[in-house]
Amino acid sequence: MKISQKIITNLKSGGADFFLSVPCKLLANMITILENDKEIYYSAIPREEEGMGICAGAYLGNKLPCIMMQNTGIGNSVNSIVSLLQLYQMPVVFLISYRGTPGEPVGAQGGMGSVTEDILNTLRIPMLHCNIEEDLDKISTFTNHAKVIESPVAVLCNFNLMEDD
Amino acid sequence: MNRFELLNLLQQTIENELVICNIGLPSQELYKINDRPNYFYMLGSMGLASSIGLGLSLSIDKNVISIDGDGSVLMNMNTLATIGNRAPSNYTLLIVDNGSYGSTGDQKTFTNESTSLKNVAIGAGCKNVIECLGEETNENLQKALADKNNSYVIISKIKSGNVPIKPIPLNAVTIRDRFRKEIGLVSYL
Repeated sequence: MKISQKIITNLKSGGADFFLSVPCKLLANMITILENDKEIYYSAIPREEEGMGICAGAYLGNKLPCIMMQNTGIGNSVNSIVSLLQLYQMPVVFLISYRGTPGEPVGAQGGMGSVTEDILNTLRIPMLHCNIEEDLDKISTFTNHAKVIESPVAVLCNFNLMEDD
Repeated sequence: MNRFELLNLLQQTIENELVICNIGLPSQELYKINDRPNYFYMLGSMGLASSIGLGLSLSIDKNVISIDGDGSVLMNMNTLATIGNRAPSNYTLLIVDNGSYGSTGDQKTFTNESTSLKNVAIGAGCKNVIECLGEETNENLQKALADKNNSYVIISKIKSGNVPIKPIPLNAVTIRDRFRKEIGLVSYL
């Protein structure tokens, strides 16, 4: 719970005030925290791509949205990121639980795990890697950076960091 | 009645409501009929007009109308479940159901066959789902906008067909900024 709380606190202090999630086991604690947070909007949603649309609308309404999802969700969202968020220059924070890196117990996660950073690089989306607890301190500045550059940014939280939280 | 005629007719009802308009010919026709800064034209991301409007309505108090199409709703049907469970009372989804993918050459959609978007919306949890003829759309939209306690999904059944039209000569950030200025968020325009 300590890691999850720190991530949410830093996202909020960076300005994020509208949260969506497509649930992931590693996001479960964060979802519990958000469900009980009266200062922000939070909802679960069925699919990441529609989340990009909802985030776009929330930005138009002056929110700084954050969508929480597994890295597989990037694969579901590429066109909406390029043809909506980037085309209209809309800041959105992607808080990504990063599966499929070495140590991952589920082999099937390896495929998206191995292409996630290449996809984000191809899309020119700034990335913040969080592998150890100290990395989480950078999330606040990075969240604000999305607003400054009017672009989506991606925070990649390694599953090793979150699995024992 | 086709989409161009319906969008024309809607100008009698829409005033300062914030409109998110579906990609392609719907946006191009709306631009040609009556361009306004409170119209957000989608230039990409087919399927997401309903979702963008939902996110906006959750963030502000003003009335928001998503003008979507049957083909686009079929592409993003899961968002009907989000709307059914989360849409606030200032949200209206107007589905212009002409049974065809108009922007790509009027290929038929499944609403021409067995699919009923009314039943899908109801099944997804949407309240106040109204299916009507194009001619009845204004009265139902007026009802939806006047109701301060409920969100609505209106499915307007019309004929397929398009008018000759050009792409919208506005870039995306211009559309974004003048729309946000309408909401009061941009002061430099």
